[in-house]
Amino acid sequence: MNPHPTLIGPAPLGSSLGWPVAWPLVWPLAHLVPTGLGPWGDGIAQLVLQPTPLLLVVGLVLLAAQGGAASCDRLPLLIPGAWLLGGLLGLGLGAELLQALACTALVTVIGLLTALGVRLGPRAFLVLGAGTLIPVALVAGSALAGHPGALAALLGQVVAIAVLTALLVPPLSPPQPRWRAVGLRVVGSWITAAGLLMLAWLARHPQ
Amino acid sequence: MAGLLHPISGLDHVVAMVAVGLWGAVLGPPALWLLPVAFPMVMALGGGLGLLGVPIPGVEIGIALSGMVLGLMVLLEIRAPLMVAAALVAVFALFHGYAHGTELPAGGNPLLYSLAFVIATGSLHLLGILLGETRRWPGGRRFVQAAGASVALVGLWFLLRALR
Repeated sequence: MNPHPTLIGPAPLGSSLGWPVAWPLVWPLAHLVPTGLGPWGDGIAQLVLQPTPLLLVVGLVLLAAQGGAASCDRLPLLIPGAWLLGGLLGLGLGAELLQALACTALVTVIGLLTALGVRLGPRAFLVLGAGTLIPVALVAGSALAGHPGALAALLGQVVAIAVLTALLVPPLSPPQPRWRAVGLRVVGSWITAAGLLMLAWLARHPQ
Repeated sequence: MAGLLHPISGLDHVVAMVAVGLWGAVLGPPALWLLPVAFPMVMALGGGLGLLGVPIPGVEIGIALSGMVLGLMVLLEIRAPLMVAAALVAVFALFHGYAHGTELPAGGNPLLYSLAFVIATGSLHLLGILLGETRRWPGGRRFVQAAGASVALVGLWFLLRALR
């Protein structure tokens, strides 16, 4: 039985195994909601309604802002690029795996690094950014696979994420006043806390 | 909305959250921001334990104690070392998170709920910090101490109720 009858579009794994089995694994990233704006709009709406990827994007921007201007400069290319790559991989490979728990754990780690005030060099940030974005985008992409207009939905997501990144980076880029640096860590702790609660929630409600 | 409303649904929780901000303001930087950073993360750990049904004894007493102790810290303007303050707040956060975790509803969107829940908690800390910052003004110090006394009294009331 579909636990969210108003939503459509179970992932391929969900289709093959049935919702009761697949739901706990895929649901945080798996739904496409018909917006009436076509696949492009549906892809963007998915980001808003199931915002795990958005939390990751926000967390990465905050972490980059703590690291320095060099890390921030790469974000407008890194984030949409990694999302496109991971999403295309997901479209091609279909669903599998790690899914919600792994994605939420990655978001939690990024939030924790931000809350702890960790400053990463540009190269380390590049590795971490791509290493977290691509798996999450892969899962999100695999959730789109099989839908009509999946590629358009993915491109809608990429553009939405690019716009979000472009909006977030300039005001957060160094040099920052002290209060803003503190704000970054506070928001990082919120992302960590939400991620931890999500992990427990997923463990608590496997069905 | 449920996530936003949940942390403010109990007076014992509300006064303790505000007291964290108040005490942070009394202690000044870096405790001013370290306590509100540490609290939600440990609270989420406690929430996770509550969600998973891991038993923790004396939760209601711990919550009541948190209000009483934090209120006294503000009232008496106790300047504990940073690590002591962080550890104390973390222990209390565990109790608050646990209580919230056991009460989280099973339906809805858990991520949005969790985010709203954490943001509401952070907003209460912010309220405490803003109230605490009135110490810079004439009479502000007394006002903050009075706020601490009120929190301590509320905590005491809940403690007596929990022990009954």
